[in-house]
Amino acid sequence: MSWGATGAAALSGALLALASAATALAQPNRNAAGVLAFTAEEQRQILSHGPWPPAPARDAGNAQASRPAAIALGQALFFETRLSGKANTSCASCHLPARAFTDGRPRALGQAPLERNTPSLWNAVHERWYGWDGAADSLWSQAIRPLLDEREMASSATHLAATIGTDAQLACRYRQVFHADADAADAQRTLVNAAKALGAFTGSLVSGRSAFDAFRDALQRGDRRAVARYPLAAQRGLRLFVGRGQCQVCHAGPMFSNGEFGDTGLPFFSRPGVVDPGRHGGIAALRASPYTLLSDWSDASDEATRIKTRHVLAQPRNFGEFKVPSLRNVADTAPYMHDGQLASLTEVVAHYSTLNLERLHADGEQILKPLHLSPREAADLVAFLRTLSDPGATHWQRRTLPACATRERPGHLPSPGTQAP
Amino acid sequence: MNSFGPLHAARNTLLALFTLAATLAASPAGAECGEQLPAPTRQLASGDGYQVAFVASAWPVPLGQHFSLDLVVCGPPGAAAAETLRIDADMPAHRHGMNYRASVQDRGGGRFHAEGLMFHMAGRWRLIFDLHSGTQTVRLTHEVVVQ
Repeated sequence: MSWGATGAAALSGALLALASAATALAQPNRNAAGVLAFTAEEQRQILSHGPWPPAPARDAGNAQASRPAAIALGQALFFETRLSGKANTSCASCHLPARAFTDGRPRALGQAPLERNTPSLWNAVHERWYGWDGAADSLWSQAIRPLLDEREMASSATHLAATIGTDAQLACRYRQVFHADADAADAQRTLVNAAKALGAFTGSLVSGRSAFDAFRDALQRGDRRAVARYPLAAQRGLRLFVGRGQCQVCHAGPMFSNGEFGDTGLPFFSRPGVVDPGRHGGIAALRASPYTLLSDWSDASDEATRIKTRHVLAQPRNFGEFKVPSLRNVADTAPYMHDGQLASLTEVVAHYSTLNLERLHADGEQILKPLHLSPREAADLVAFLRTLSDPGATHWQRRTLPACATRERPGHLPSPGTQAP
Repeated sequence: MNSFGPLHAARNTLLALFTLAATLAASPAGAECGEQLPAPTRQLASGDGYQVAFVASAWPVPLGQHFSLDLVVCGPPGAAAAETLRIDADMPAHRHGMNYRASVQDRGGGRFHAEGLMFHMAGRWRLIFDLHSGTQTVRLTHEVVVQ
Protein backbone atom coordinates (compact mmCIF):
# COMPACT_ATOMS: atom_id res chain seq x y z
CA MET A 1 0.00 0.00 0.00
CA SER A 2 1.39 3.38 -0.81
CA TRP A 3 0.19 6.90 -1.21
CA GLY A 4 1.21 9.30 -3.88
CA ALA A 5 3.22 12.47 -3.69
CA THR A 6 0.08 14.57 -4.02
CA GLY A 7 -1.51 12.91 -1.06
CA ALA A 8 1.70 13.22 0.86
CA ALA A 9 1.96 16.92 0.15
CA ALA A 10 -1.65 17.52 1.11
CA LEU A 11 -1.17 15.62 4.30
CA SER A 12 2.01 17.39 5.12
CA GLY A 13 0.25 20.71 4.73
CA ALA A 14 -2.63 19.68 6.87
CA LEU A 15 -0.40 18.33 9.55
CA LEU A 16 1.82 21.40 9.52
CA ALA A 17 -1.26 23.45 10.26
CA LEU A 18 -2.22 21.08 13.02
CA ALA A 19 1.29 21.15 14.42
CA SER A 20 1.38 24.94 14.57
CA ALA A 21 -1.87 24.98 16.50
CA ALA A 22 -0.40 22.50 18.91
CA THR A 23 2.25 24.92 20.07
CA ALA A 24 -0.40 26.98 21.84
CA LEU A 25 -1.27 24.14 24.10
CA ALA A 26 0.37 22.96 27.24
CA GLN A 27 0.02 19.31 26.25
CA PRO A 28 2.73 18.35 23.75
CA ASN A 29 1.84 16.79 20.42
CA ARG A 30 -1.75 17.85 20.62
CA ASN A 31 -3.53 20.76 18.95
CA ALA A 32 -6.60 22.77 19.83
CA ALA A 33 -8.88 20.52 17.83
CA GLY A 34 -8.03 17.49 19.93
CA VAL A 35 -5.82 15.86 17.33
CA LEU A 36 -2.38 14.45 17.94
CA ALA A 37 0.32 15.91 15.70
CA PHE A 38 1.25 12.71 13.93
CA THR A 39 4.66 12.71 12.32
CA ALA A 40 5.06 12.13 8.60
CA GLU A 41 6.16 8.56 9.27
CA GLU A 42 3.20 7.97 11.55
CA GLN A 43 0.88 9.34 8.88
CA ARG A 44 2.40 7.04 6.30
CA GLN A 45 1.85 4.08 8.58
CA ILE A 46 -1.72 5.11 9.39
CA LEU A 47 -2.65 5.57 5.73
CA SER A 48 -1.26 2.12 4.92
CA HIS A 49 -4.18 0.62 6.85
CA GLY A 50 -6.67 1.71 4.23
CA PRO A 51 -8.61 2.52 2.25
CA TRP A 52 -11.49 0.33 3.23
CA PRO A 53 -13.12 -1.54 1.65
CA PRO A 54 -10.27 -2.67 -0.59
CA ALA A 55 -10.67 -3.72 -4.19
CA PRO A 56 -13.06 -6.68 -4.45
CA ALA A 57 -11.49 -10.11 -4.22
CA ARG A 58 -12.71 -13.55 -5.26
CA ASP A 59 -12.33 -16.94 -3.69
CA ALA A 60 -9.26 -18.41 -5.43
CA GLY A 61 -9.81 -21.26 -7.84
CA ASN A 62 -13.58 -20.93 -7.58
CA ALA A 63 -15.36 -20.24 -10.85
CA GLN A 64 -18.60 -19.72 -8.90
CA ALA A 65 -17.20 -16.94 -6.72
CA SER A 66 -19.18 -13.70 -6.91
CA ARG A 67 -22.08 -15.33 -8.79
CA PRO A 68 -25.38 -14.43 -7.07
CA ALA A 69 -26.89 -17.88 -7.62
CA ALA A 70 -23.84 -19.53 -6.05
CA ILE A 71 -23.89 -17.10 -3.12
CA ALA A 72 -27.58 -17.91 -2.59
CA LEU A 73 -26.90 -21.65 -2.64
CA GLY A 74 -23.95 -21.11 -0.32
CA GLN A 75 -26.11 -19.20 2.14
CA ALA A 76 -28.71 -21.97 2.12
CA LEU A 77 -26.02 -24.59 2.73
CA PHE A 78 -24.32 -22.49 5.42
CA PHE A 79 -27.41 -22.63 7.65
CA GLU A 80 -28.41 -26.22 6.78
CA THR A 81 -27.97 -28.59 9.73
CA ARG A 82 -28.93 -31.62 7.62
CA LEU A 83 -25.54 -31.42 5.94
CA SER A 84 -23.99 -32.78 9.12
CA GLY A 85 -23.91 -36.50 9.76
CA LYS A 86 -26.30 -36.22 12.70
CA ALA A 87 -28.37 -33.39 11.18
CA ASN A 88 -27.58 -31.28 14.23
CA THR A 89 -24.81 -28.90 13.15
CA SER A 90 -24.41 -26.32 10.43
CA CYS A 91 -21.59 -23.94 9.56
CA ALA A 92 -23.61 -21.31 11.42
CA SER A 93 -23.50 -23.38 14.62
CA CYS A 94 -19.94 -22.12 15.14
CA HIS A 95 -19.96 -19.08 12.84
CA LEU A 96 -22.86 -17.17 14.39
CA PRO A 97 -23.76 -13.99 12.49
CA ALA A 98 -24.71 -12.21 15.73
CA ARG A 99 -21.18 -12.85 17.03
CA ALA A 100 -19.41 -11.58 13.93
CA PHE A 101 -19.39 -15.15 12.62
CA THR A 102 -17.62 -16.54 15.67
CA ASP A 103 -19.12 -18.49 18.58
CA GLY A 104 -17.86 -16.66 21.65
CA ARG A 105 -16.27 -19.85 23.00
CA PRO A 106 -12.56 -20.19 23.74
CA ARG A 107 -12.50 -23.38 21.67
CA ALA A 108 -15.05 -24.51 19.13
CA LEU A 109 -17.55 -27.23 19.88
CA GLY A 110 -18.79 -29.48 17.09
CA GLN A 111 -19.75 -33.10 17.57
CA ALA A 112 -16.89 -33.03 20.08
CA PRO A 113 -14.72 -30.35 21.70
CA LEU A 114 -12.09 -28.93 19.37
CA GLU A 115 -8.66 -27.43 20.03
CA ARG A 116 -8.91 -24.06 18.39
CA ASN A 117 -10.92 -20.87 18.54
CA THR A 118 -13.52 -20.25 15.82
CA PRO A 119 -12.24 -17.48 13.55
CA SER A 120 -14.55 -14.82 12.16
CA LEU A 121 -15.55 -15.12 8.52
CA TRP A 122 -15.72 -11.39 7.93
CA ASN A 123 -13.35 -10.38 5.12
CA ALA A 124 -11.99 -13.93 4.80
CA VAL A 125 -11.90 -13.48 1.04
CA HIS A 126 -9.04 -11.03 1.55
CA GLU A 127 -6.91 -13.60 3.38
CA ARG A 128 -4.17 -15.72 1.84
CA TRP A 129 -4.43 -18.87 3.97
CA TYR A 130 -7.32 -20.36 5.92
CA GLY A 131 -7.47 -21.89 9.36
CA TRP A 132 -5.19 -20.95 12.23
CA ASP A 133 -2.54 -23.18 10.65
CA GLY A 134 -3.19 -22.15 7.07
CA ALA A 135 -3.93 -25.69 5.97
CA ALA A 136 -6.23 -24.48 3.19
CA ASP A 137 -5.39 -22.15 0.32
CA SER A 138 -8.94 -21.15 -0.64
CA LEU A 139 -12.29 -20.59 1.00
CA TRP A 140 -13.82 -23.51 -0.86
CA SER A 141 -11.12 -25.95 0.14
CA GLN A 142 -11.35 -24.71 3.73
CA ALA A 143 -15.10 -25.42 3.70
CA ILE A 144 -14.52 -29.11 2.97
CA ARG A 145 -12.57 -29.86 6.15
CA PRO A 146 -15.27 -29.09 8.77
CA LEU A 147 -17.87 -30.85 6.64
CA LEU A 148 -15.91 -34.10 6.72
CA ASP A 149 -14.20 -33.83 10.13
CA GLU A 150 -15.71 -36.38 12.54
CA ARG A 151 -15.47 -33.89 15.39
CA GLU A 152 -17.15 -31.06 13.50
CA MET A 153 -19.99 -31.82 11.09
CA ALA A 154 -19.13 -35.49 10.59
CA SER A 155 -20.61 -35.56 7.12
CA SER A 156 -19.47 -37.38 3.99
CA ALA A 157 -19.53 -36.65 0.31
CA THR A 158 -22.26 -39.24 -0.18
CA HIS A 159 -24.40 -37.87 2.65
CA LEU A 160 -23.98 -34.35 1.38
CA ALA A 161 -24.92 -35.27 -2.18
CA ALA A 162 -27.97 -37.17 -0.98
CA THR A 163 -29.09 -34.31 1.27
CA ILE A 164 -28.82 -31.72 -1.48
CA GLY A 165 -30.24 -34.04 -4.12
CA THR A 166 -33.36 -34.93 -2.17
CA ASP A 167 -34.29 -31.44 -1.00
CA ALA A 168 -36.30 -29.70 -3.70
CA GLN A 169 -34.98 -26.20 -2.97
CA LEU A 170 -31.35 -27.18 -2.47
CA ALA A 171 -31.45 -29.41 -5.54
CA CYS A 172 -32.98 -26.62 -7.60
CA ARG A 173 -30.40 -24.07 -6.49
CA TYR A 174 -27.58 -26.55 -7.06
CA ARG A 175 -28.88 -27.19 -10.57
CA GLN A 176 -29.10 -23.46 -11.27
CA VAL A 177 -25.48 -22.98 -10.35
CA PHE A 178 -23.81 -26.09 -11.70
CA HIS A 179 -26.21 -27.12 -14.51
CA ALA A 180 -26.15 -30.62 -13.14
CA ASP A 181 -27.89 -32.61 -10.44
CA ALA A 182 -26.35 -33.20 -7.05
CA ASP A 183 -25.42 -36.77 -7.65
CA ALA A 184 -24.50 -39.38 -5.06
CA ALA A 185 -22.86 -41.35 -7.86
CA ASP A 186 -20.43 -38.46 -8.31
CA ALA A 187 -20.37 -37.46 -4.69
CA GLN A 188 -16.84 -36.02 -4.74
CA ARG A 189 -17.83 -33.54 -7.42
CA THR A 190 -20.98 -32.63 -5.48
CA LEU A 191 -18.88 -32.13 -2.34
CA VAL A 192 -16.47 -29.80 -4.11
CA ASN A 193 -19.29 -27.94 -5.84
CA ALA A 194 -21.10 -27.45 -2.54
CA ALA A 195 -17.85 -26.21 -1.01
CA LYS A 196 -17.47 -23.74 -3.86
CA ALA A 197 -20.97 -22.42 -3.18
CA LEU A 198 -20.01 -22.06 0.48
CA GLY A 199 -16.83 -20.29 -0.65
CA ALA A 200 -18.89 -17.93 -2.80
CA PHE A 201 -21.12 -17.13 0.17
CA THR A 202 -18.38 -16.64 2.75
CA GLY A 203 -16.41 -14.68 0.18
CA SER A 204 -19.30 -12.22 0.00
CA LEU A 205 -18.93 -11.32 3.69
CA VAL A 206 -17.00 -8.07 3.62
CA SER A 207 -17.58 -5.84 6.62
CA GLY A 208 -18.29 -2.15 6.43
CA ARG A 209 -16.31 0.84 7.51
CA SER A 210 -15.16 1.55 11.03
CA ALA A 211 -14.48 4.69 13.04
CA PHE A 212 -10.80 4.18 12.23
CA ASP A 213 -11.55 4.18 8.51
CA ALA A 214 -13.36 7.51 8.83
CA PHE A 215 -10.40 8.94 10.74
CA ARG A 216 -7.86 7.53 8.31
CA ASP A 217 -9.64 8.95 5.27
CA ALA A 218 -10.14 12.32 6.97
CA LEU A 219 -6.44 12.43 7.74
CA GLN A 220 -5.65 11.69 4.11
CA ARG A 221 -7.81 14.52 2.79
CA GLY A 222 -6.81 16.94 5.55
CA ASP A 223 -10.30 17.26 7.03
CA ARG A 224 -9.47 18.59 10.50
CA ARG A 225 -13.01 18.57 11.80
CA ALA A 226 -13.54 14.95 10.82
CA VAL A 227 -10.14 13.97 12.17
CA ALA A 228 -11.03 15.54 15.52
CA ARG A 229 -14.06 13.25 15.88
CA TYR A 230 -11.74 10.31 16.48
CA PRO A 231 -11.30 9.87 20.24
CA LEU A 232 -8.00 11.04 21.66
CA ALA A 233 -7.51 7.78 23.53
CA ALA A 234 -7.82 5.91 20.22
CA GLN A 235 -5.34 8.31 18.62
CA ARG A 236 -2.85 7.65 21.38
CA GLY A 237 -3.42 3.94 21.01
CA LEU A 238 -2.95 4.22 17.25
CA ARG A 239 0.33 6.05 17.80
CA LEU A 240 1.49 3.17 19.98
CA PHE A 241 0.26 0.64 17.40
CA VAL A 242 2.29 2.10 14.54
CA GLY A 243 5.13 3.36 16.72
CA ARG A 244 6.65 1.93 19.83
CA GLY A 245 4.42 -1.12 19.79
CA GLN A 246 5.45 -2.05 16.23
CA CYS A 247 2.16 -3.95 16.05
CA GLN A 248 1.86 -3.13 12.35
CA VAL A 249 4.91 -5.24 11.55
CA CYS A 250 2.56 -8.23 11.59
CA HIS A 251 -0.85 -6.52 11.67
CA ALA A 252 -0.21 -4.68 8.41
CA GLY A 253 -2.31 -3.12 5.70
CA PRO A 254 -6.06 -2.60 5.40
CA MET A 255 -6.73 -6.04 6.89
CA PHE A 256 -4.46 -5.35 9.87
CA SER A 257 -2.76 -8.65 9.09
CA ASN A 258 0.14 -9.63 6.86
CA GLY A 259 -1.65 -12.89 6.16
CA GLU A 260 1.23 -14.97 7.45
CA PHE A 261 2.10 -16.76 10.69
CA GLY A 262 3.94 -16.04 13.88
CA ASP A 263 4.83 -17.29 17.32
CA THR A 264 3.39 -15.06 20.02
CA GLY A 265 4.92 -16.73 23.04
CA LEU A 266 1.72 -18.36 24.24
CA PRO A 267 1.56 -21.95 25.43
CA PHE A 268 0.43 -24.14 22.56
CA PHE A 269 -0.53 -27.29 24.38
CA SER A 270 -3.95 -28.24 23.04
CA ARG A 271 -4.36 -30.50 26.08
CA PRO A 272 -1.92 -31.84 28.67
CA GLY A 273 0.99 -33.44 26.88
CA VAL A 274 -0.33 -32.68 23.39
CA VAL A 275 1.18 -29.86 21.38
CA ASP A 276 -0.59 -28.04 18.57
CA PRO A 277 2.07 -27.83 15.83
CA GLY A 278 0.38 -24.82 14.24
CA ARG A 279 1.74 -23.77 10.86
CA HIS A 280 4.13 -26.72 10.75
CA GLY A 281 1.18 -29.10 10.67
CA GLY A 282 -0.77 -26.75 8.44
CA ILE A 283 1.77 -26.92 5.64
CA ALA A 284 1.89 -30.72 5.94
CA ALA A 285 -1.91 -30.87 5.77
CA LEU A 286 -1.94 -28.51 2.80
CA ARG A 287 0.50 -30.70 0.90
CA ALA A 288 -1.53 -33.81 1.69
CA SER A 289 -4.85 -32.27 0.67
CA PRO A 290 -6.44 -33.31 -2.62
CA TYR A 291 -8.32 -30.01 -2.75
CA THR A 292 -5.63 -27.35 -3.12
CA LEU A 293 -5.20 -24.77 -5.87
CA LEU A 294 -2.70 -27.16 -7.47
CA SER A 295 -5.32 -29.89 -7.79
CA ASP A 296 -7.63 -30.67 -10.66
CA TRP A 297 -10.54 -29.56 -8.46
CA SER A 298 -9.38 -25.98 -8.71
CA ASP A 299 -10.91 -23.86 -11.45
CA ALA A 300 -7.77 -21.74 -11.72
CA SER A 301 -4.88 -22.82 -13.89
CA ASP A 302 -3.01 -19.51 -13.91
CA GLU A 303 0.29 -19.44 -12.10
CA ALA A 304 -0.52 -16.22 -10.27
CA THR A 305 -3.33 -17.94 -8.36
CA ARG A 306 -1.30 -21.04 -7.62
CA ILE A 307 2.01 -19.42 -6.77
CA LYS A 308 1.55 -19.28 -2.98
CA THR A 309 0.76 -22.99 -2.80
CA ARG A 310 3.54 -24.00 -5.16
CA HIS A 311 6.21 -21.98 -3.34
CA VAL A 312 5.21 -22.17 0.33
CA LEU A 313 8.19 -23.21 2.42
CA ALA A 314 8.10 -25.48 5.48
CA GLN A 315 10.63 -24.43 8.10
CA PRO A 316 11.43 -25.55 11.65
CA ARG A 317 10.27 -22.20 13.00
CA ASN A 318 6.74 -22.93 11.74
CA PHE A 319 6.25 -25.15 14.77
CA GLY A 320 3.97 -23.26 17.13
CA GLU A 321 3.26 -20.48 14.65
CA PHE A 322 -0.35 -19.48 14.10
CA LYS A 323 -1.97 -17.14 11.64
CA VAL A 324 -1.77 -13.42 12.28
CA PRO A 325 -5.48 -12.64 12.55
CA SER A 326 -7.08 -9.61 11.01
CA LEU A 327 -7.92 -7.00 13.63
CA ARG A 328 -10.98 -5.73 11.79
CA ASN A 329 -13.99 -6.20 14.09
CA VAL A 330 -11.64 -7.58 16.72
CA ALA A 331 -13.69 -6.17 19.60
CA ASP A 332 -16.56 -8.41 18.47
CA THR A 333 -14.64 -11.68 18.32
CA ALA A 334 -13.56 -12.48 21.90
CA PRO A 335 -12.00 -14.64 23.20
CA TYR A 336 -8.65 -14.37 21.49
CA MET A 337 -5.62 -16.20 20.13
CA HIS A 338 -5.60 -19.55 18.37
CA ASP A 339 -7.17 -21.39 21.27
CA GLY A 340 -9.11 -18.60 22.93
CA GLN A 341 -6.87 -18.56 25.98
CA LEU A 342 -7.13 -14.78 26.40
CA ALA A 343 -10.62 -13.61 27.29
CA SER A 344 -10.48 -9.93 26.43
CA LEU A 345 -8.59 -7.32 24.46
CA THR A 346 -7.24 -6.07 27.77
CA GLU A 347 -5.69 -9.49 28.36
CA VAL A 348 -4.25 -9.56 24.84
CA VAL A 349 -2.58 -6.17 25.32
CA ALA A 350 -1.33 -7.25 28.74
CA HIS A 351 0.20 -10.34 27.11
CA TYR A 352 2.22 -8.27 24.68
CA SER A 353 3.09 -5.77 27.40
CA THR A 354 4.60 -8.41 29.68
CA LEU A 355 5.70 -10.89 27.04
CA ASN A 356 7.91 -13.67 28.31
CA LEU A 357 10.70 -14.00 25.76
CA GLU A 358 11.64 -17.37 27.24
CA ARG A 359 8.44 -18.75 25.79
CA LEU A 360 9.22 -17.76 22.24
CA HIS A 361 10.33 -20.73 20.23
CA ALA A 362 10.68 -19.25 16.78
CA ASP A 363 14.15 -20.46 15.90
CA GLY A 364 15.96 -17.26 16.83
CA GLU A 365 13.49 -14.91 15.21
CA GLN A 366 13.59 -11.50 16.85
CA ILE A 367 10.41 -9.55 16.33
CA LEU A 368 8.51 -9.50 19.60
CA LYS A 369 9.64 -7.82 22.78
CA PRO A 370 7.66 -6.83 25.86
CA LEU A 371 6.06 -3.43 25.41
CA HIS A 372 6.06 -2.50 29.10
CA LEU A 373 2.95 -0.37 28.71
CA SER A 374 1.64 1.87 31.47
CA PRO A 375 -1.99 1.28 32.48
CA ARG A 376 -3.05 4.31 30.44
CA GLU A 377 -1.10 3.17 27.40
CA ALA A 378 -2.67 -0.27 27.62
CA ALA A 379 -6.12 1.32 27.85
CA ASP A 380 -5.31 3.55 24.88
CA LEU A 381 -4.28 0.57 22.77
CA VAL A 382 -7.54 -1.19 23.63
CA ALA A 383 -9.46 2.01 22.82
CA PHE A 384 -7.82 2.06 19.40
CA LEU A 385 -8.58 -1.61 18.74
CA ARG A 386 -12.23 -0.99 19.55
CA THR A 387 -12.43 1.55 16.74
CA LEU A 388 -11.66 -1.14 14.15
CA SER A 389 -15.20 -2.54 14.26
CA ASP A 390 -17.88 -2.08 11.68
CA PRO A 391 -21.02 -1.31 13.75
CA GLY A 392 -22.87 -3.73 11.49
CA ALA A 393 -20.48 -6.64 12.04
CA THR A 394 -22.79 -8.27 14.60
CA HIS A 395 -26.02 -7.38 12.84
CA TRP A 396 -25.69 -9.29 9.59
CA GLN A 397 -29.08 -10.39 8.33
CA ARG A 398 -29.62 -13.50 6.30
CA ARG A 399 -30.92 -12.62 2.87
CA THR A 400 -34.41 -13.95 2.17
CA LEU A 401 -34.02 -16.16 -0.83
CA PRO A 402 -36.83 -16.32 -3.34
CA ALA A 403 -38.16 -19.81 -3.97
CA CYS A 404 -36.07 -21.58 -6.56
CA ALA A 405 -37.82 -22.77 -9.68
CA THR A 406 -36.10 -24.06 -12.75
CA ARG A 407 -37.48 -25.07 -16.07
CA GLU A 408 -34.39 -27.01 -16.92
CA ARG A 409 -34.80 -30.77 -16.99
CA PRO A 410 -31.84 -32.75 -15.74
CA GLY A 411 -31.82 -34.91 -18.86
CA HIS A 412 -31.13 -31.84 -20.97
CA LEU A 413 -28.46 -30.34 -18.75
CA PRO A 414 -24.89 -29.84 -19.83
CA SER A 415 -22.30 -32.12 -18.37
CA PRO A 416 -21.45 -31.78 -14.65
CA GLY A 417 -19.10 -29.01 -13.80
CA THR A 418 -20.04 -26.90 -16.76
CA GLN A 419 -20.16 -23.30 -15.72
CA ALA A 420 -23.46 -21.54 -16.06
CA PRO A 421 -23.52 -18.53 -18.38
CA MET B 1 28.45 -6.99 0.36
CA ASN B 2 29.57 -10.46 -0.43
CA SER B 3 31.08 -13.58 1.03
CA PHE B 4 32.54 -16.79 -0.27
CA GLY B 5 31.42 -20.34 0.28
CA PRO B 6 33.55 -23.20 1.48
CA LEU B 7 36.79 -22.24 -0.26
CA HIS B 8 38.95 -19.29 0.42
CA ALA B 9 38.21 -16.27 -1.71
CA ALA B 10 41.61 -15.92 -3.32
CA ARG B 11 41.86 -19.59 -4.13
CA ASN B 12 38.43 -19.56 -5.74
CA THR B 13 39.28 -16.58 -7.84
CA LEU B 14 42.46 -18.24 -9.11
CA LEU B 15 40.58 -21.43 -9.90
CA ALA B 16 38.05 -19.46 -11.84
CA LEU B 17 40.72 -17.64 -13.83
CA PHE B 18 42.33 -20.92 -14.83
CA THR B 19 39.11 -22.41 -16.13
CA LEU B 20 40.09 -21.97 -19.78
CA ALA B 21 36.88 -23.15 -21.34
CA ALA B 22 34.70 -20.88 -19.35
CA THR B 23 33.08 -17.87 -20.86
CA LEU B 24 30.45 -15.50 -19.73
CA ALA B 25 28.00 -14.98 -22.54
CA ALA B 26 26.13 -12.35 -20.63
CA SER B 27 29.02 -9.93 -20.33
CA PRO B 28 30.58 -9.12 -23.66
CA ALA B 29 33.56 -6.80 -23.50
CA GLY B 30 32.57 -3.25 -22.76
CA ALA B 31 28.94 -4.07 -22.12
CA GLU B 32 27.22 -3.09 -18.92
CA CYS B 33 25.87 -6.07 -17.03
CA GLY B 34 22.16 -6.47 -17.62
CA GLU B 35 21.92 -3.58 -20.02
CA GLN B 36 19.15 -5.44 -21.82
CA LEU B 37 16.99 -5.10 -18.68
CA PRO B 38 14.83 -2.00 -18.27
CA ALA B 39 17.12 0.67 -16.85
CA PRO B 40 14.69 2.66 -14.67
CA THR B 41 14.21 -0.12 -12.12
CA ARG B 42 17.33 -2.18 -12.81
CA GLN B 43 19.26 -3.08 -9.68
CA LEU B 44 22.80 -4.35 -9.39
CA ALA B 45 24.47 -6.58 -6.83
CA SER B 46 28.22 -7.00 -7.18
CA GLY B 47 31.28 -8.43 -5.51
CA ASP B 48 34.48 -10.36 -6.29
CA GLY B 49 34.20 -9.42 -9.90
CA TYR B 50 30.73 -10.89 -10.26
CA GLN B 51 27.56 -8.94 -10.88
CA VAL B 52 23.88 -9.76 -10.79
CA ALA B 53 21.66 -7.25 -12.55
CA PHE B 54 17.96 -7.72 -12.01
CA VAL B 55 14.54 -6.17 -12.33
CA ALA B 56 11.55 -7.07 -10.20
CA SER B 57 8.06 -7.55 -11.60
CA ALA B 58 7.00 -4.70 -9.31
CA TRP B 59 9.23 -1.90 -8.04
CA PRO B 60 9.33 -0.82 -5.30
CA VAL B 61 8.76 -4.37 -4.18
CA PRO B 62 5.27 -4.38 -2.65
CA LEU B 63 4.60 -5.60 0.86
CA GLY B 64 2.92 -8.98 1.08
CA GLN B 65 2.68 -9.72 -2.63
CA HIS B 66 4.49 -12.33 -4.65
CA PHE B 67 6.92 -10.97 -7.19
CA SER B 68 9.35 -12.33 -9.76
CA LEU B 69 12.83 -11.32 -10.87
CA ASP B 70 14.49 -11.26 -14.26
CA LEU B 71 18.24 -11.50 -13.80
CA VAL B 72 21.48 -11.38 -15.73
CA VAL B 73 24.64 -12.80 -14.18
CA CYS B 74 28.02 -11.47 -15.25
CA GLY B 75 31.50 -12.51 -14.14
CA PRO B 76 35.07 -11.31 -14.45
CA PRO B 77 36.83 -11.97 -17.76
CA GLY B 78 37.85 -15.58 -18.07
CA ALA B 79 35.93 -16.70 -15.02
CA ALA B 80 33.62 -19.66 -15.05
CA ALA B 81 30.04 -18.94 -15.92
CA ALA B 82 27.58 -19.46 -13.13
CA GLU B 83 26.13 -22.92 -13.58
CA THR B 84 23.37 -22.41 -11.10
CA LEU B 85 21.84 -19.48 -9.30
CA ARG B 86 20.05 -19.81 -6.00
CA ILE B 87 17.98 -16.92 -4.69
CA ASP B 88 16.80 -16.35 -1.15
CA ALA B 89 16.08 -13.37 1.08
CA ASP B 90 16.09 -12.57 4.75
CA MET B 91 15.47 -9.80 7.26
CA PRO B 92 18.71 -9.61 9.26
CA ALA B 93 17.17 -7.43 11.97
CA HIS B 94 14.39 -9.94 12.53
CA ARG B 95 16.56 -12.99 11.92
CA HIS B 96 14.09 -14.67 9.65
CA GLY B 97 13.74 -15.35 5.97
CA MET B 98 10.89 -15.61 3.54
CA ASN B 99 7.98 -17.98 3.99
CA TYR B 100 8.29 -19.02 0.35
CA ARG B 101 11.05 -20.67 -1.63
CA ALA B 102 11.97 -18.97 -4.87
CA SER B 103 12.26 -21.13 -7.96
CA VAL B 104 14.89 -20.18 -10.52
CA GLN B 105 14.79 -20.94 -14.22
CA ASP B 106 17.98 -20.82 -16.29
CA ARG B 107 17.15 -19.13 -19.57
CA GLY B 108 20.62 -19.45 -21.03
CA GLY B 109 23.28 -16.90 -21.80
CA GLY B 110 23.60 -15.86 -18.18
CA ARG B 111 19.92 -14.97 -17.93
CA PHE B 112 17.67 -16.32 -15.20
CA HIS B 113 14.07 -15.90 -14.08
CA ALA B 114 12.98 -16.32 -10.46
CA GLU B 115 9.45 -16.70 -9.13
CA GLY B 116 7.73 -17.17 -5.81
CA LEU B 117 9.42 -14.48 -3.74
CA MET B 118 7.40 -12.55 -1.18
CA PHE B 119 8.39 -10.05 1.50
CA HIS B 120 5.75 -10.44 4.20
CA MET B 121 6.92 -7.68 6.51
CA ALA B 122 7.89 -4.07 6.05
CA GLY B 123 11.51 -3.23 6.67
CA ARG B 124 14.98 -4.03 5.40
CA TRP B 125 15.25 -7.22 3.40
CA ARG B 126 18.42 -8.69 1.96
CA LEU B 127 18.22 -10.46 -1.37
CA ILE B 128 20.79 -13.25 -1.50
CA PHE B 129 22.23 -14.54 -4.76
CA ASP B 130 24.37 -17.67 -4.55
CA LEU B 131 26.31 -18.25 -7.77
CA HIS B 132 27.63 -21.78 -8.13
CA SER B 133 30.28 -22.87 -10.60
CA GLY B 134 32.06 -26.15 -10.04
CA THR B 135 33.17 -26.11 -6.44
CA GLN B 136 33.00 -22.37 -6.22
CA THR B 137 30.21 -20.43 -4.61
CA VAL B 138 30.04 -16.68 -4.65
CA ARG B 139 27.40 -14.94 -2.59
CA LEU B 140 26.16 -11.50 -3.56
CA THR B 141 23.57 -9.57 -1.62
CA HIS B 142 21.40 -6.57 -2.27
CA GLU B 143 19.36 -4.62 0.27
CA VAL B 144 15.73 -3.82 -0.41
CA VAL B 145 13.58 -1.64 1.83
CA VAL B 146 9.91 -2.57 1.82
CA GLN B 147 7.27 -0.16 3.07
